Amino acid sequence: MELITRHQHNTQTIITFNTTSLDASNADTFRKQIRASLESSTKIAIDMSSLSFVDSSGLGALLSCLRYCTEQGSSFALYGLQRPVSALFELMRMHRVFQVFNSLDEIAGVQA
Amino acid sequence: MKALILAAGKGTRLMPLSRDCPKPMLSILDRPVIECLIEQLAKHGVTQIIINTSYLAKEIESYFTSGRRFGVELAFSYEGFEQDGELHDRPLGSAATIRQIQQHSGFFDDTFLVLCGDALIDLDLTALIAAHHQAGALATLALAQVPAEKLCQYGVALLDDTGRIMAFQEKPKLGEAKSDLVNTGVYVFEPDILKYIPSDTPYDLGSDVFPQLAREGAALYGVEIPFNWIDIGRVADYYAVQMAAICGDVPAISRPGIEIAPGIFVGANTRFDPRRCHVQAPMVIADSVTIEDGATLIGPLWIGRGSYIESGVHIERSLVFDYTRVGRQAALIEMLASGRWCAGKDGITIDPVVSDIPWILADSRTKLPSIYNREQHFLAQLNQFEPLEMGQRTS
Repeated sequence: MELITRHQHNTQTIITFNTTSLDASNADTFRKQIRASLESSTKIAIDMSSLSFVDSSGLGALLSCLRYCTEQGSSFALYGLQRPVSALFELMRMHRVFQVFNSLDEIAGVQA
Repeated sequence: MKALILAAGKGTRLMPLSRDCPKPMLSILDRPVIECLIEQLAKHGVTQIIINTSYLAKEIESYFTSGRRFGVELAFSYEGFEQDGELHDRPLGSAATIRQIQQHSGFFDDTFLVLCGDALIDLDLTALIAAHHQAGALATLALAQVPAEKLCQYGVALLDDTGRIMAFQEKPKLGEAKSDLVNTGVYVFEPDILKYIPSDTPYDLGSDVFPQLAREGAALYGVEIPFNWIDIGRVADYYAVQMAAICGDVPAISRPGIEIAPGIFVGANTRFDPRRCHVQAPMVIADSVTIEDGATLIGPLWIGRGSYIESGVHIERSLVFDYTRVGRQAALIEMLASGRWCAGKDGITIDPVVSDIPWILADSRTKLPSIYNREQHFLAQLNQFEPLEMGQRTS
Protein backbone atom coordinates (compact mmCIF):
# COMPACT_ATOMS: atom_id res chain seq x y z
CA MET A 1 0.00 0.00 0.00
CA GLU A 2 1.12 3.51 -0.73
CA LEU A 3 2.26 5.42 2.34
CA ILE A 4 0.54 8.61 1.21
CA THR A 5 -2.42 9.64 -0.90
CA ARG A 6 -2.53 12.79 -2.95
CA HIS A 7 -5.58 14.75 -3.96
CA GLN A 8 -6.42 18.19 -5.18
CA HIS A 9 -8.54 20.77 -3.35
CA ASN A 10 -8.89 23.93 -5.47
CA THR A 11 -5.31 25.04 -6.05
CA GLN A 12 -4.02 23.14 -3.04
CA THR A 13 -2.33 19.74 -3.30
CA ILE A 14 -3.21 17.76 -0.21
CA ILE A 15 -1.17 14.84 1.07
CA THR A 16 -2.74 12.43 3.54
CA PHE A 17 -1.03 9.55 5.32
CA ASN A 18 -2.16 5.93 5.16
CA THR A 19 -0.22 5.19 8.33
CA THR A 20 -0.23 6.27 11.97
CA SER A 21 3.47 6.95 12.34
CA LEU A 22 6.17 8.70 10.37
CA ASP A 23 9.48 7.45 11.69
CA ALA A 24 12.81 5.82 10.89
CA SER A 25 11.03 2.81 9.37
CA ASN A 26 9.23 4.75 6.63
CA ALA A 27 10.78 8.22 6.40
CA ASP A 28 12.80 7.35 3.28
CA THR A 29 9.77 5.83 1.58
CA PHE A 30 7.83 8.99 2.38
CA ARG A 31 10.56 11.15 0.85
CA LYS A 32 10.51 9.11 -2.37
CA GLN A 33 6.73 8.97 -2.64
CA ILE A 34 6.13 12.68 -2.05
CA ARG A 35 8.79 13.79 -4.52
CA ALA A 36 6.50 13.82 -7.59
CA SER A 37 3.90 15.93 -5.75
CA LEU A 38 6.50 18.46 -4.65
CA GLU A 39 7.78 18.78 -8.21
CA SER A 40 4.37 19.24 -9.79
CA SER A 41 2.63 21.54 -7.32
CA THR A 42 3.33 24.98 -5.85
CA LYS A 43 0.92 24.67 -2.93
CA ILE A 44 1.42 21.66 -0.71
CA ALA A 45 -0.64 20.99 2.41
CA ILE A 46 0.16 17.96 4.55
CA ASP A 47 -2.78 16.52 6.46
CA MET A 48 -1.10 15.20 9.62
CA SER A 49 -4.31 14.06 11.30
CA SER A 50 -3.74 10.31 10.93
CA LEU A 51 -0.28 10.48 12.51
CA SER A 52 -0.08 9.74 16.24
CA PHE A 53 3.72 9.45 16.24
CA VAL A 54 6.54 11.28 14.51
CA ASP A 55 10.20 10.77 15.40
CA SER A 56 13.30 12.75 14.47
CA SER A 57 13.65 10.85 11.17
CA GLY A 58 10.06 11.73 10.31
CA LEU A 59 10.72 15.36 11.18
CA GLY A 60 13.87 15.20 9.08
CA ALA A 61 11.84 14.00 6.09
CA LEU A 62 9.33 16.84 6.57
CA LEU A 63 12.21 19.31 6.86
CA SER A 64 13.69 18.12 3.57
CA CYS A 65 10.28 18.65 1.92
CA LEU A 66 10.15 22.12 3.40
CA ARG A 67 13.65 22.89 2.12
CA TYR A 68 12.78 21.73 -1.38
CA CYS A 69 9.59 23.81 -1.44
CA THR A 70 11.35 26.88 -0.08
CA GLU A 71 13.96 26.57 -2.83
CA GLN A 72 11.26 26.21 -5.46
CA GLY A 73 9.25 29.11 -4.08
CA SER A 74 6.32 26.76 -3.28
CA SER A 75 4.28 26.83 -0.12
CA PHE A 76 4.46 23.91 2.29
CA ALA A 77 2.08 23.78 5.23
CA LEU A 78 1.10 21.22 7.86
CA TYR A 79 -2.32 20.92 9.47
CA GLY A 80 -4.39 18.75 11.78
CA LEU A 81 -1.60 17.67 14.13
CA GLN A 82 -2.64 15.24 16.86
CA ARG A 83 -1.80 16.33 20.40
CA PRO A 84 1.28 14.07 20.88
CA VAL A 85 2.72 15.29 17.58
CA SER A 86 2.01 18.96 18.27
CA ALA A 87 3.57 18.50 21.73
CA LEU A 88 6.73 17.22 20.04
CA PHE A 89 6.65 20.20 17.67
CA GLU A 90 6.36 22.58 20.63
CA LEU A 91 9.11 20.82 22.56
CA MET A 92 11.46 21.05 19.56
CA ARG A 93 10.27 24.53 18.56
CA MET A 94 9.35 23.26 15.12
CA HIS A 95 6.79 26.06 14.86
CA ARG A 96 9.75 28.28 14.10
CA VAL A 97 10.29 26.61 10.76
CA PHE A 98 7.05 24.98 9.69
CA GLN A 99 3.78 26.71 8.93
CA VAL A 100 1.42 24.80 11.19
CA PHE A 101 -2.35 25.21 10.94
CA ASN A 102 -5.37 23.70 12.64
CA SER A 103 -7.29 23.00 9.46
CA LEU A 104 -7.25 23.23 5.70
CA ASP A 105 -9.69 26.16 5.88
CA GLU A 106 -7.20 28.04 8.01
CA ILE A 107 -4.51 27.59 5.33
CA ALA A 108 -6.87 28.84 2.66
CA GLY A 109 -7.68 31.85 4.84
CA VAL A 110 -4.02 32.79 5.21
CA GLN A 111 -3.20 32.26 1.55
CA ALA A 112 -6.26 34.10 0.22
CA MET B 1 -0.50 3.55 68.41
CA LYS B 2 0.26 1.59 65.25
CA ALA B 3 -0.30 2.51 61.63
CA LEU B 4 -0.19 1.09 58.13
CA ILE B 5 0.72 3.13 55.05
CA LEU B 6 -0.57 1.64 51.80
CA ALA B 7 2.21 1.93 49.24
CA ALA B 8 1.88 -1.06 46.91
CA GLY B 9 -0.07 0.58 44.09
CA LYS B 10 1.32 0.93 40.62
CA GLY B 11 0.15 4.50 40.07
CA THR B 12 -1.19 3.87 36.57
CA ARG B 13 -2.85 7.28 36.45
CA LEU B 14 0.52 8.86 37.20
CA MET B 15 2.30 7.37 34.21
CA PRO B 16 4.89 8.21 33.02
CA LEU B 17 6.00 9.73 36.34
CA SER B 18 5.43 6.43 38.12
CA ARG B 19 7.35 4.44 35.52
CA ASP B 20 10.51 4.46 37.59
CA CYS B 21 9.27 5.87 40.87
CA PRO B 22 6.53 4.34 43.02
CA LYS B 23 3.75 6.81 43.72
CA PRO B 24 4.48 7.30 47.46
CA MET B 25 8.10 8.15 46.62
CA LEU B 26 7.25 10.96 44.23
CA SER B 27 8.89 14.01 45.71
CA ILE B 28 7.33 17.36 46.41
CA LEU B 29 10.50 19.39 45.92
CA ASP B 30 12.99 17.31 47.91
CA ARG B 31 10.57 15.30 50.04
CA PRO B 32 8.77 12.08 49.11
CA VAL B 33 5.06 12.17 49.95
CA ILE B 34 5.42 9.14 52.21
CA GLU B 35 8.11 10.86 54.29
CA CYS B 36 5.65 13.66 55.07
CA LEU B 37 3.10 11.03 56.10
CA ILE B 38 5.54 9.30 58.44
CA GLU B 39 6.31 12.64 60.11
CA GLN B 40 2.64 13.36 60.43
CA LEU B 41 2.02 9.99 62.09
CA ALA B 42 4.99 10.43 64.44
CA LYS B 43 3.66 13.84 65.46
CA HIS B 44 0.41 12.24 66.57
CA GLY B 45 1.99 9.59 68.75
CA VAL B 46 2.28 6.67 66.34
CA THR B 47 5.30 4.56 67.28
CA GLN B 48 5.20 1.63 64.84
CA ILE B 49 4.45 1.94 61.13
CA ILE B 50 4.19 -0.81 58.55
CA ILE B 51 4.56 0.13 54.90
CA ASN B 52 3.31 -2.49 52.48
CA THR B 53 5.35 -2.50 49.28
CA SER B 54 5.07 -4.22 45.93
CA TYR B 55 5.61 -2.10 42.81
CA LEU B 56 9.23 -0.84 42.84
CA ALA B 57 9.48 -1.96 46.46
CA LYS B 58 13.23 -1.41 46.58
CA GLU B 59 12.84 2.32 45.89
CA ILE B 60 10.82 2.69 49.08
CA GLU B 61 12.66 0.21 51.28
CA SER B 62 16.14 1.53 50.49
CA TYR B 63 15.16 5.16 51.10
CA PHE B 64 13.94 4.40 54.63
CA THR B 65 16.76 2.31 56.01
CA SER B 66 15.31 2.90 59.46
CA GLY B 67 12.58 5.00 60.96
CA ARG B 68 14.83 6.21 63.75
CA ARG B 69 15.34 9.69 62.33
CA PHE B 70 11.55 10.13 62.57
CA GLY B 71 11.36 8.65 66.06
CA VAL B 72 9.32 5.64 64.90
CA GLU B 73 9.88 1.97 64.14
CA LEU B 74 9.36 1.15 60.47
CA ALA B 75 8.56 -2.26 59.04
CA PHE B 76 7.96 -3.36 55.47
CA SER B 77 5.58 -6.00 54.22
CA TYR B 78 6.46 -7.00 50.65
CA GLU B 79 3.70 -8.38 48.43
CA GLY B 80 5.09 -10.65 45.74
CA PHE B 81 7.77 -13.30 45.28
CA GLU B 82 11.28 -13.79 43.97
CA GLN B 83 12.00 -16.07 41.05
CA ASP B 84 15.15 -16.40 38.94
CA GLY B 85 16.68 -13.30 40.46
CA GLU B 86 13.66 -11.10 39.82
CA LEU B 87 10.90 -9.82 42.05
CA HIS B 88 7.39 -10.48 40.81
CA ASP B 89 4.89 -8.10 42.35
CA ARG B 90 1.58 -9.50 43.55
CA PRO B 91 -0.23 -6.68 45.35
CA LEU B 92 -2.96 -8.09 47.58
CA GLY B 93 -5.44 -5.26 47.80
CA SER B 94 -5.64 -3.00 50.83
CA ALA B 95 -7.81 -5.27 53.00
CA ALA B 96 -5.89 -8.45 52.21
CA THR B 97 -2.72 -6.54 53.17
CA ILE B 98 -4.10 -6.05 56.68
CA ARG B 99 -5.02 -9.74 56.81
CA GLN B 100 -1.53 -10.86 55.74
CA ILE B 101 0.20 -8.66 58.31
CA GLN B 102 -2.13 -9.88 61.03
CA GLN B 103 -1.55 -13.52 60.13
CA HIS B 104 2.21 -12.90 60.16
CA SER B 105 2.60 -11.28 63.55
CA GLY B 106 -0.73 -10.24 65.04
CA PHE B 107 0.49 -6.66 64.60
CA PHE B 108 -2.92 -5.01 64.91
CA ASP B 109 -3.67 -5.50 68.61
CA ASP B 110 -5.39 -2.20 69.33
CA THR B 111 -6.98 0.78 67.53
CA PHE B 112 -4.85 1.51 64.46
CA LEU B 113 -4.55 3.97 61.57
CA VAL B 114 -4.40 3.25 57.86
CA LEU B 115 -3.30 5.91 55.35
CA CYS B 116 -3.03 5.85 51.58
CA GLY B 117 0.52 6.68 50.53
CA ASP B 118 -0.43 9.04 47.73
CA ALA B 119 -1.86 12.10 49.44
CA LEU B 120 -0.43 14.86 51.59
CA ILE B 121 -2.53 15.53 54.66
CA ASP B 122 -2.30 17.87 57.62
CA LEU B 123 -5.23 16.22 59.38
CA ASP B 124 -5.47 16.31 63.17
CA LEU B 125 -5.16 12.54 63.59
CA THR B 126 -5.51 12.80 67.37
CA ALA B 127 -8.93 14.40 66.95
CA LEU B 128 -9.92 11.78 64.39
CA ILE B 129 -9.02 8.95 66.78
CA ALA B 130 -10.92 10.69 69.61
CA ALA B 131 -14.03 10.91 67.41
CA HIS B 132 -13.62 7.24 66.54
CA HIS B 133 -13.61 6.23 70.22
CA GLN B 134 -16.42 8.59 71.13
CA ALA B 135 -18.67 7.02 68.50
CA GLY B 136 -17.68 3.52 69.57
CA ALA B 137 -16.83 2.86 65.93
CA LEU B 138 -15.40 -0.24 64.34
CA ALA B 139 -14.11 1.84 61.46
CA THR B 140 -13.92 5.61 60.98
CA LEU B 141 -13.18 7.30 57.68
CA ALA B 142 -11.85 10.84 57.40
CA LEU B 143 -14.07 12.59 54.89
CA ALA B 144 -13.43 15.75 52.96
CA GLN B 145 -15.80 18.10 51.22
CA VAL B 146 -14.92 18.53 47.54
CA PRO B 147 -16.43 20.69 44.80
CA ALA B 148 -19.22 19.10 42.73
CA GLU B 149 -17.11 18.77 39.58
CA LYS B 150 -14.50 16.68 41.39
CA LEU B 151 -16.87 14.24 43.09
CA CYS B 152 -16.73 11.89 40.10
CA GLN B 153 -13.09 11.06 40.92
CA TYR B 154 -13.80 9.72 44.38
CA GLY B 155 -15.84 7.46 46.61
CA VAL B 156 -18.74 9.53 47.93
CA ALA B 157 -20.08 8.70 51.41
CA LEU B 158 -23.71 9.11 52.50
CA LEU B 159 -24.15 9.74 56.25
CA ASP B 160 -27.08 9.66 58.62
CA ASP B 161 -27.63 12.25 61.41
CA THR B 162 -25.25 10.49 63.77
CA GLY B 163 -22.33 10.38 61.33
CA ARG B 164 -22.81 6.73 60.48
CA ILE B 165 -22.08 5.85 56.85
CA MET B 166 -25.18 4.33 55.24
CA ALA B 167 -23.87 3.81 51.70
CA PHE B 168 -21.21 4.69 49.16
CA GLN B 169 -21.29 5.91 45.60
CA GLU B 170 -18.10 4.95 43.78
CA LYS B 171 -17.07 7.68 41.30
CA PRO B 172 -20.62 8.94 40.61
CA LYS B 173 -21.40 10.68 37.35
CA LEU B 174 -21.52 14.46 37.34
CA GLY B 175 -24.72 15.62 39.02
CA GLU B 176 -25.59 12.20 40.46
CA ALA B 177 -23.63 12.43 43.72
CA LYS B 178 -25.92 12.39 46.75
CA SER B 179 -23.39 14.03 49.07
CA ASP B 180 -20.28 16.19 48.73
CA LEU B 181 -18.20 14.21 51.24
CA VAL B 182 -15.57 11.85 49.88
CA ASN B 183 -13.34 9.14 51.27
CA THR B 184 -9.81 10.53 51.67
CA GLY B 185 -8.03 7.26 52.33
CA VAL B 186 -7.42 8.00 56.01
CA TYR B 187 -8.95 5.36 58.30
CA VAL B 188 -9.12 4.39 61.97
CA PHE B 189 -9.89 0.72 62.69
CA GLU B 190 -10.48 -1.60 65.58
CA PRO B 191 -8.76 -4.99 65.21
CA ASP B 192 -12.23 -6.51 64.80
CA ILE B 193 -12.19 -5.16 61.24
CA LEU B 194 -10.32 -8.37 60.42
CA LYS B 195 -13.53 -10.34 60.86
CA TYR B 196 -14.72 -8.73 57.64
CA ILE B 197 -11.68 -9.71 55.57
CA PRO B 198 -11.74 -13.27 54.16
CA SER B 199 -8.55 -15.29 53.89
CA ASP B 200 -6.65 -16.10 50.72
CA THR B 201 -8.36 -13.76 48.32
CA PRO B 202 -7.52 -10.29 47.02
CA TYR B 203 -9.70 -7.89 48.97
CA ASP B 204 -10.02 -4.14 48.97
CA LEU B 205 -11.14 -1.77 51.71
CA GLY B 206 -12.85 0.76 49.48
CA SER B 207 -14.68 -1.59 47.14
CA ASP B 208 -15.23 -4.68 49.36
CA VAL B 209 -15.05 -4.06 53.11
CA PHE B 210 -16.65 -0.63 53.48
CA PRO B 211 -19.69 -1.33 51.30
CA GLN B 212 -20.24 -4.56 53.25
CA LEU B 213 -20.00 -2.74 56.59
CA ALA B 214 -22.49 -0.14 55.38
CA ARG B 215 -24.89 -2.83 54.13
CA GLU B 216 -24.75 -4.73 57.39
CA GLY B 217 -25.26 -1.59 59.46
CA ALA B 218 -21.93 -2.03 61.25
CA ALA B 219 -20.36 0.80 63.27
CA LEU B 220 -18.84 2.54 60.24
CA TYR B 221 -18.51 6.27 60.78
CA GLY B 222 -17.44 9.22 58.71
CA VAL B 223 -15.84 12.24 60.32
CA GLU B 224 -15.38 15.55 58.61
CA ILE B 225 -12.53 17.46 60.18
CA PRO B 226 -11.44 20.31 57.90
CA PHE B 227 -7.87 19.69 56.71
CA ASN B 228 -5.66 20.19 53.71
CA TRP B 229 -5.85 17.08 51.61
CA ILE B 230 -3.62 17.07 48.58
CA ASP B 231 -4.43 13.99 46.58
CA ILE B 232 -1.73 13.09 44.07
CA GLY B 233 -3.64 10.60 41.96
CA ARG B 234 -3.07 12.08 38.52
CA VAL B 235 -0.30 13.90 36.65
CA ALA B 236 -2.25 17.17 36.79
CA ASP B 237 -2.55 16.82 40.62
CA TYR B 238 1.17 16.25 40.97
CA TYR B 239 1.97 19.18 38.70
CA ALA B 240 -0.35 21.46 40.70
CA VAL B 241 1.10 20.54 44.10
CA GLN B 242 4.67 20.96 42.85
CA MET B 243 3.81 24.39 41.44
CA ALA B 244 2.27 25.36 44.80
CA ALA B 245 5.35 24.10 46.69
CA ILE B 246 7.68 26.10 44.43
CA CYS B 247 5.64 29.18 45.30
CA GLY B 248 6.02 28.33 49.01
CA ASP B 249 2.31 27.61 49.39
CA VAL B 250 2.51 24.06 50.82
CA PRO B 251 3.03 24.42 54.59
CA ALA B 252 4.52 20.93 55.02
CA ILE B 253 7.20 21.57 52.41
CA SER B 254 9.78 24.30 52.91
CA ARG B 255 11.84 25.20 49.88
CA PRO B 256 15.32 23.62 49.98
CA GLY B 257 18.57 25.42 49.13
CA ILE B 258 19.67 29.01 49.64
CA GLU B 259 17.53 31.90 48.48
CA ILE B 260 20.10 33.73 46.32
CA ALA B 261 17.55 36.27 45.06
CA PRO B 262 13.90 36.80 45.98
CA GLY B 263 12.07 33.54 45.26
CA ILE B 264 15.12 31.85 43.69
CA PHE B 265 16.30 28.86 45.74
CA VAL B 266 19.50 27.11 44.72
CA GLY B 267 21.09 23.93 46.09
CA ALA B 268 24.73 23.20 46.86
CA ASN B 269 27.24 22.54 44.09
CA THR B 270 24.99 24.13 41.46
CA ARG B 271 26.41 26.34 38.70
CA PHE B 272 23.92 29.09 37.94
CA ASP B 273 24.32 32.83 37.46
CA PRO B 274 20.82 34.33 37.24
CA ARG B 275 22.28 37.64 36.03
CA ARG B 276 23.41 35.91 32.86
CA CYS B 277 20.09 34.17 32.21
CA HIS B 278 16.56 35.39 31.56
CA VAL B 279 15.00 34.63 34.91
CA GLN B 280 11.61 35.11 36.49
CA ALA B 281 11.01 33.83 40.06
CA PRO B 282 9.87 31.70 41.77
CA MET B 283 12.05 28.70 41.18
CA VAL B 284 13.74 25.90 43.07
CA ILE B 285 16.98 24.56 41.60
CA ALA B 286 18.31 21.44 43.32
CA ASP B 287 21.92 20.52 43.97
CA SER B 288 24.69 19.80 41.43
CA VAL B 289 22.74 21.39 38.57
CA THR B 290 24.40 23.22 35.68
CA ILE B 291 22.54 26.08 34.01
CA GLU B 292 24.47 27.59 31.14
CA ASP B 293 24.42 31.35 30.65
CA GLY B 294 21.70 32.47 28.27
CA ALA B 295 18.99 30.05 29.38
CA THR B 296 15.46 31.38 29.85
CA LEU B 297 13.78 30.27 33.08
CA ILE B 298 10.24 31.48 33.76
CA GLY B 299 8.80 30.38 37.12
CA PRO B 300 7.27 28.67 38.85
CA LEU B 301 9.71 25.97 37.92
CA TRP B 302 11.77 23.23 39.51
CA ILE B 303 14.99 21.66 38.27
CA GLY B 304 16.08 18.40 39.88
CA ARG B 305 19.45 17.15 41.04
CA GLY B 306 22.32 16.85 38.58
CA SER B 307 20.40 18.27 35.63
CA TYR B 308 22.11 20.17 32.82
CA ILE B 309 20.34 23.08 31.14
CA GLU B 310 22.03 24.27 27.97
CA SER B 311 22.25 27.86 26.81
CA GLY B 312 19.25 28.96 24.77
CA VAL B 313 16.81 26.61 26.46
CA HIS B 314 13.37 28.00 27.25
CA ILE B 315 11.76 26.54 30.39
CA GLU B 316 8.49 27.94 31.64
CA ARG B 317 6.17 26.69 34.45
CA SER B 318 7.74 23.26 34.17
CA LEU B 319 9.32 20.49 36.23
CA VAL B 320 12.67 19.03 35.20
CA PHE B 321 13.44 15.78 37.01
CA ASP B 322 16.79 14.59 38.37
CA TYR B 323 19.64 14.05 35.91
CA THR B 324 17.98 15.52 32.86
CA ARG B 325 19.90 17.23 30.07
CA VAL B 326 17.75 19.81 28.34
CA GLY B 327 19.26 20.71 24.98
CA ARG B 328 19.46 24.23 23.57
CA GLN B 329 16.77 23.56 20.94
CA ALA B 330 14.20 22.67 23.59
CA ALA B 331 11.21 24.65 24.79
CA LEU B 332 9.50 23.26 27.89
CA ILE B 333 6.24 25.03 28.57
CA GLU B 334 4.03 23.49 31.27
CA MET B 335 5.87 20.21 30.90
CA LEU B 336 7.24 17.54 33.20
CA ALA B 337 10.47 16.30 31.68
CA SER B 338 13.17 13.73 32.23
CA GLY B 339 15.64 11.96 29.96
CA ARG B 340 13.24 9.01 29.71
CA TRP B 341 9.91 10.73 29.24
CA CYS B 342 8.25 14.07 28.84
CA ALA B 343 4.67 14.74 29.82
CA GLY B 344 2.32 17.63 29.48
CA LYS B 345 0.32 18.42 32.60
CA ASP B 346 -2.67 17.08 30.66
CA GLY B 347 -0.92 13.71 30.56
CA ILE B 348 0.23 13.76 26.91
CA THR B 349 3.61 12.09 26.72
CA ILE B 350 6.61 12.14 24.46
CA ASP B 351 9.29 9.47 24.73
CA PRO B 352 12.59 11.17 23.87
CA VAL B 353 14.30 7.81 23.38
CA VAL B 354 11.70 6.39 20.98
CA SER B 355 11.39 9.77 19.26
CA ASP B 356 15.17 9.72 18.88
CA ILE B 357 15.73 13.28 20.08
CA PRO B 358 18.57 12.95 22.62
CA TRP B 359 19.76 16.47 21.86
CA ILE B 360 16.43 17.78 23.17
CA LEU B 361 16.08 15.57 26.26
CA ALA B 362 18.52 12.98 27.58
CA ASP B 363 19.98 11.65 30.79
CA SER B 364 22.55 14.24 31.88
CA ARG B 365 25.01 11.41 32.56
CA THR B 366 24.93 10.11 28.97
CA LYS B 367 28.22 10.54 27.11
CA LEU B 368 28.01 13.56 24.86
CA PRO B 369 29.35 12.43 21.45
CA SER B 370 26.33 10.22 20.79
CA ILE B 371 24.00 13.11 21.61
CA TYR B 372 25.87 15.73 19.60
CA ASN B 373 26.23 13.52 16.52
CA ARG B 374 22.47 13.19 16.36
CA GLU B 375 22.04 16.90 16.90
CA GLN B 376 24.49 17.81 14.13
CA HIS B 377 22.74 15.48 11.75
CA PHE B 378 19.40 17.10 12.52
CA LEU B 379 20.71 20.67 12.57
CA ALA B 380 22.19 20.19 9.12
CA GLN B 381 18.59 19.96 7.95
CA LEU B 382 17.26 22.61 10.31
CA ASN B 383 19.92 25.32 10.09
CA GLN B 384 18.77 26.79 6.82
CA PHE B 385 15.63 27.93 8.59
CA GLU B 386 17.36 29.09 11.75
CA PRO B 387 17.05 32.91 11.27
CA LEU B 388 13.35 32.69 12.12
CA GLU B 389 12.39 33.61 15.65
CA MET B 390 10.04 31.64 17.81
CA GLY B 391 6.42 32.14 16.86
CA GLN B 392 7.26 33.73 13.55
CA ARG B 393 6.10 31.93 10.47
CA THR B 394 7.63 31.33 7.09
CA SER B 395 6.02 33.30 4.33
